[in-house]
Amino acid sequence: MTQASLTEVNGRIVAMIAQCASGVRAQDIKPTHRLREDLGLDSVGSMELLSMLAEELDLDVPVEEAAQVSTVEATLALAHRYLAQKQA
Amino acid sequence: MRPTAEELNVVEPLKSSLSQVLRRVRPLEVDQEHRLPEGLLAELGELGVFGLTLPTSHGGAGLSAVAACTVVAHVAAVDRSVATTLGLHLGLGTRGLVAFGSKSQHERWLPGLAEGRTIAAFATTESEAGSDVAAVKTTASVDGAGLKLSGTKVYVTNARLAKVLTLTAATPGLGGAKKGLSLLILDPATQGVSLGAEERKLGLRGSSTCTITLDDVSLGADAVVGEPGQGARQLEHVLSWGRLLLSAGCVGTTRVSLRTALAHVKLRKQFGKPLFGQEVVQRQLHAAAAGLFGMEAIVTRAARAEGDFAALARLTTASKVFCSERAWELCDLSLQLHGGAGFIEDTGVALPLRDARVTRIFEGANDVLATHAGLSELMTPLPQSPHAAMAELEAALAERRTALSTAYGVRAFNRRAALHALGRAAILRDVAAAATSLASSPGELDAAAQLRAQALAAVRLPLSDEVPLPFLERFLEEVLS
Repeated sequence: MTQASLTEVNGRIVAMIAQCASGVRAQDIKPTHRLREDLGLDSVGSMELLSMLAEELDLDVPVEEAAQVSTVEATLALAHRYLAQKQA
Repeated sequence: MRPTAEELNVVEPLKSSLSQVLRRVRPLEVDQEHRLPEGLLAELGELGVFGLTLPTSHGGAGLSAVAACTVVAHVAAVDRSVATTLGLHLGLGTRGLVAFGSKSQHERWLPGLAEGRTIAAFATTESEAGSDVAAVKTTASVDGAGLKLSGTKVYVTNARLAKVLTLTAATPGLGGAKKGLSLLILDPATQGVSLGAEERKLGLRGSSTCTITLDDVSLGADAVVGEPGQGARQLEHVLSWGRLLLSAGCVGTTRVSLRTALAHVKLRKQFGKPLFGQEVVQRQLHAAAAGLFGMEAIVTRAARAEGDFAALARLTTASKVFCSERAWELCDLSLQLHGGAGFIEDTGVALPLRDARVTRIFEGANDVLATHAGLSELMTPLPQSPHAAMAELEAALAERRTALSTAYGVRAFNRRAALHALGRAAILRDVAAAATSLASSPGELDAAAQLRAQALAAVRLPLSDEVPLPFLERFLEEVLS
């Protein structure tokens, strides 16, 4: 994946996070932010986010793996891992 | 509920004293006058019921959740408004403070709460944040060494009675969290806190329900209960207790409603014999008794999980959904069996039905909770029940879960209708498992078998096809025009 497309994908993911975490602007979201404590997403909200992300990017992410994700950084890493698998 | 012999030693004498005090409560008068009898709460306070679940170190009785549920069910069998006032105090009103409060907060608030000198209320719902608690707009901002709190909370039970209020507020930046939620505790007499008018309601008219407006309320940093920014997790625990005691109230209401119905059908003759001699009525009461046993079983199981936050959250979700829905159905059955008399307010038959209605809504609307139950079932399935009788049901549920997960992966979390159906099946499985564990007499074993069969039917219910939104909109326009 090129740097430009990487940035574009990250931007889309962060925008989705901002959409799920109402009241938080995309530009304020940092990789270290915790979905629950920092962004106010509960367990349902977190899974909704990952579900939306899988729909948007057309990724087949197993439930068990998604359930382990708790930060913005981990969300990005999960998405990139499955995007790479898809492209391989 | 099924208290242990030890719990019964405390609960039985208390129930007997409560019956004495509650003798003067006239539910229809409470309903018509929209208030509890004068001095009743003080009398209840003298019996120590407001401290049932509060720690003995601060004047409470330190009883188990099962014991508290037994008492709340007993009160609800007399009057649901009284039970709601008490249950709210013991559950939502004080649980955050008990579980997460500091030593100094305990010292300040708990003695009065245990004695019933101070009644507790809990405020989380807002006009735009009902079941979606993450949407809370009430905000406490850091202001010097303290906080400034502003916002509006609606449908606050016990609002007019309360001298202690626990609430949820967004606390951005507090505790290092960007957008955290925190629990706050305050005296409603604090400058800037104002109460709206009493709401006019379908039921529970003797309990107080108001809007609370918070206008630049100055609070000390010691108003934060527990770790700042951890309100979402704390709220889950507080709501678990709220749902548990609400479920116990449903048991009391339903039991008395069915007792009234049974007495009526044994006396009332139609077609030459008592209604109780009619096969259809017998079948209805057979199913109703199984439903009531299921309610008792799931409340008992949930209450026994009080020390395990995750299990408590899961089981109280199941108990809340099941008990509120069975209470509605069975109070409705009671009304139906009373015929025309059931529709006349003065007979008192309709009151439990009206009182029960809101329990399907508050402490989390049932369909939202069922969807959450589906999410939990998908994320963290329960270990298998040790009862062989549960094997077929559990295998069927596992098959459904696996099918959903395999077909959609994480995208299953956006298949709300499928999650809702899975959640409803999982709730019935939890109830069937609780009933199967508890059943010992022939009647109970029969009830448990009925509950397992109902759960199995729900698991095997085919998912209906998605309804395309444009089709639905057109169709609604047609039939509603």
